[in-house]
Amino acid sequence: MHRFLLRIEPIVWLLFGQGVLIGTILLTSWVLVVGMLEPLGLVPADALAYERALRLGAHPIGRLVLLALIALPLWKGAHHLRHLAIEFGGHARDAVVAPVLYGLAALGSLAGLFAIIRL
Amino acid sequence: MGEQKKTFVVTRFDPDRDDAPTTREYEIAVQPDWKTLDALNFIKDHVDGTLAYRWSCRMAVCGSCGMMVNGEPRLTCKDVLSQYGDTVHIAPLANFPVVRDLVIEFDGFMEKFERVKPWILRAKEKAVEEGTHRQSPEQLADFQHFSMCINCMLCYAACPVVSNEPAFLGPAAIALGHRYNLDSRDEGNGARNQVFRGDGTVFSCSYANECSEVCPKKVDPAAAVNQAKIGALLDWAKGLVLPRGGPE
Amino acid sequence: MSVPAHPQAMAPSRPGRTRTAPPQRPDQAPFGGRYRSHTLFGATGFVYLLLGLLALEAVWALGGGSASWSGFQASLASPFMIAIHAISFVSVIFVGVRFFRLFPKAQPPRLGPVRPPPAPVIIAALYAVWIGASVLFAAILAGGIL
Repeated sequence: MHRFLLRIEPIVWLLFGQGVLIGTILLTSWVLVVGMLEPLGLVPADALAYERALRLGAHPIGRLVLLALIALPLWKGAHHLRHLAIEFGGHARDAVVAPVLYGLAALGSLAGLFAIIRL
Repeated sequence: MGEQKKTFVVTRFDPDRDDAPTTREYEIAVQPDWKTLDALNFIKDHVDGTLAYRWSCRMAVCGSCGMMVNGEPRLTCKDVLSQYGDTVHIAPLANFPVVRDLVIEFDGFMEKFERVKPWILRAKEKAVEEGTHRQSPEQLADFQHFSMCINCMLCYAACPVVSNEPAFLGPAAIALGHRYNLDSRDEGNGARNQVFRGDGTVFSCSYANECSEVCPKKVDPAAAVNQAKIGALLDWAKGLVLPRGGPE
Repeated sequence: MSVPAHPQAMAPSRPGRTRTAPPQRPDQAPFGGRYRSHTLFGATGFVYLLLGLLALEAVWALGGGSASWSGFQASLASPFMIAIHAISFVSVIFVGVRFFRLFPKAQPPRLGPVRPPPAPVIIAALYAVWIGASVLFAAILAGGIL
């Protein structure tokens, strides 16, 4: 497991880095509008109505943006939490914690891809 | 002129006598222009000759006198004493096993250091008759600040990953390996990137930046480690398509 | 007093001739002084993981038809979820600010003959992209364009 984790580390780090960079750039507005302004009724009611949301989300660029919004934060979160687990829980359990976290990120990314294709 | 006194709370540990480190207090008169090392030298010369610690050049080039002063890793020869209040805590450098008093075991650092092959690697040495290697000022600028490391190991004391992951190569070792990767005379990127991706992987670095904050020579090891991640990533990508070559 | 470091931190491969005392972490670690920012940065991993899963839920709901999408939107309207998103918003800003500050020095000194621009230029460009893309994306989400 240790050897496997070392081999995949460069690509995990790349995904993590993009999770920080692209993820942060995309998440700022997403969290603000979808997570706060819309539920508080501060945007026009039809802005994120089903028809418009589906039209935007199903557009090729929309699909890419949605994939980035799902996958990149998952990899950033998994990688940071792995290091937090080492910081507070010790290195011995990394061989179990790392595959669980990265597995969650991978499954989530795949599920996201599937959900996007389904749109 | 009034004398200023300070109390120094110093870690003591004698493996032949003590189960664990303890502290001893020394109250001495200090001079306004003293560095922390001057106080330690005064204590050793006039108060307690059994105190053990490393020091040498007194001018921040040898890297011997690194210790924790009021919880911060410092070169005691460079550390101005007057910035501190009446009580100064001096402890051995964090994250290292302690041999005696303020003396740490640093063979672990030397082993990590050697693993990155901190010397010019070339497939074939240039013959003396062919003359020297030519290197422009721009090429030197690529890596010069990374070469300023004095191996004082303050960065290892500050790094949270060093605390938690024994295999991690650590800031100074990676910075010095990266220094050679950037050197135009060197051809050893492949070999070093193998080390950077092996046990002790550069990717363990969580970019805390503490190493660069405490470095007394402005080496900026955090920059080196994170540049090394990109280098290791490109090396990995290249390895997917090209066979490995170069000196090992 | 300080917390112990990993018992094998910086240990040599062969023990020395005398017994050593175990390595200690700096007094400030992990929540004090400079380490606070670093630990918080790592803790934003919780936020990002949650946001990724919420985005997954959103896309899944969107693909499930009008009723499921409305259901998802309604679930975001609880005070608890709005508070979660408020904390998430602060976390995302914190991540961006800290990451952009450190981004320039992580770039290689050159790519072939080309050197990256000076750090302030890189940081300004990053903020320009962040703000510009955010304004555009927010305008799209809020119904202003497209």
